[in-house]
Amino acid sequence: MTAISTTGLTKRYPEVAALDDVSIRLEEHRIHGLLGRNGAGKTTLMQLLTGQVFATSGEMQVLGGTPVENVEVLSQTVFIQESQKYPDTFRASDVLRIAAGAYPNWDQAYADRLVEQYRLPAKRLIKKLSRGQLSAIGIVIGLAARAPLTFFDEPYLGLDAVARQMFFDDLLADYTEHPRTIVLSTHHIDEVANLLEHVVILDQGKVLLEADTDDLHDAAITVSGKASAVDAFLAGREVLERKALGSLATATITPRDGDELAAREAGLDLTQVSLQALFVHLTTANAASAADPAPSRAAA
Amino acid sequence: MRIRNVVQLHTVNKLQAFGWPLLIMLFSLAIVLVIGAIVGSVGGDTAREGMHRGMQFNGAIFALLGPLIGFGFTAMGQYFPLALGLGLTRREFATGTALVFAGNALFYAVIVTIGKLIEVGTGGFGLSIRFFDVVYTGIGEWWQTLIQTFLLILVVSLIGAAITTAFHRWGQSFLWIFWLTLAVIVVGGVLAAVVSVPFRDAVVSIAGMGWVPWMAVTAGIGVIGGAIWLTLVRRAQAR
Repeated sequence: MTAISTTGLTKRYPEVAALDDVSIRLEEHRIHGLLGRNGAGKTTLMQLLTGQVFATSGEMQVLGGTPVENVEVLSQTVFIQESQKYPDTFRASDVLRIAAGAYPNWDQAYADRLVEQYRLPAKRLIKKLSRGQLSAIGIVIGLAARAPLTFFDEPYLGLDAVARQMFFDDLLADYTEHPRTIVLSTHHIDEVANLLEHVVILDQGKVLLEADTDDLHDAAITVSGKASAVDAFLAGREVLERKALGSLATATITPRDGDELAAREAGLDLTQVSLQALFVHLTTANAASAADPAPSRAAA
Repeated sequence: MRIRNVVQLHTVNKLQAFGWPLLIMLFSLAIVLVIGAIVGSVGGDTAREGMHRGMQFNGAIFALLGPLIGFGFTAMGQYFPLALGLGLTRREFATGTALVFAGNALFYAVIVTIGKLIEVGTGGFGLSIRFFDVVYTGIGEWWQTLIQTFLLILVVSLIGAAITTAFHRWGQSFLWIFWLTLAVIVVGGVLAAVVSVPFRDAVVSIAGMGWVPWMAVTAGIGVIGGAIWLTLVRRAQAR
């Protein structure tokens, strides 16, 4: 079943189109990655999908309905926002108590365990907490709510490496036990790459790529070795990227059958391109084409 | 409707919702009592009588009403973003918050009324002072104080919420226009009253129009503020 689908979703602010004609489809019970640079439109997309802001145009279906002012959809949705504001007088324990009442599947024992595990000072005023401790509040709510649709927007800002790893482990363990649809936005891609089953890459408000991560493994390969051998290998092929360092060169290309054998015979190394490398490549290429004063982009 | 969660959102922090306003009120009352004791012991009966008359305009009760004025502002400024963040709808938030406004107004109106009954019954706590029995909360019957205080708190909450929601929607420019308009009306009114005698007489006769019309005017302002707030909040977006 489809958890989320959008068609031509657009959100314009006075100065900028935060989202421009976004059409995506996210299946239920999977972990989806929403990737993009700062300002790509990740948060805006999640705010639209949770009814926090209103679309300028376009359609969206979330858990079978439109999310705007829809109690049925929103009570099954938790959205952990990186920039969530809390009342000045609130302590973490106050927020957790309200969250416990707001989410029907809330697991209090699990929440207590997470508070301990992330060393969240629940009795301290939230405005006195560090960035990492703020993130921990979001993580506790996002996991313990066990909402059928869970959005995490940059959930681990300010967390140390140990806590970050802990979050990925907890997320995966709890997801396995209680399958649900998870949308995780981030720009630290390598750390989450092997969690994600499906990714949407946004850039400047547009969808740059939407694919299953399994399919992406075959989307590009890197060939490296002596520059002359690399160039011979690349002859007549479309090259996504080429870098040279002295007499050595590396190039990224779309793979073809027989590449492995040919590379071995030419004494070249073939490696799969990581999700992060692919992301960097795609967004830089997009930025380059945006800088190109083609009429379609110049008008945007 | 998850109204209970919205109510909880506003009241989960007991000290903030009830503790501080009451503590500040008691502190303020204590100061007035000290003043009354000094005046009584130094000035004698005549001074006491004068004080009793003058203190009907004494605004010490605003130590309680003041923090409550801010309640409408924080409801929209601080609680609304969290309510949306927790997946509550605008309709749920508005309904629950309106209930909290009303409950809050009733709670404090009852406290002020009880305070007034004690104050009047004990001759100003035996010191001829006035703290609860003042013009702002009503110097008539006890039920008038109950209604007046309830309306006063409810109305300022609704107007505070309306102003904050409009500020969210239109930003700083709204605040400029709002305060400028208010300033023009106030300054214009004062100037007109100074320059024109008929206008001044009209103002005086309106001001003396009696308790019931005044309550109707207050309620009317509340209805306008509430209508603006409820209309805007349904289209308010997260910031």
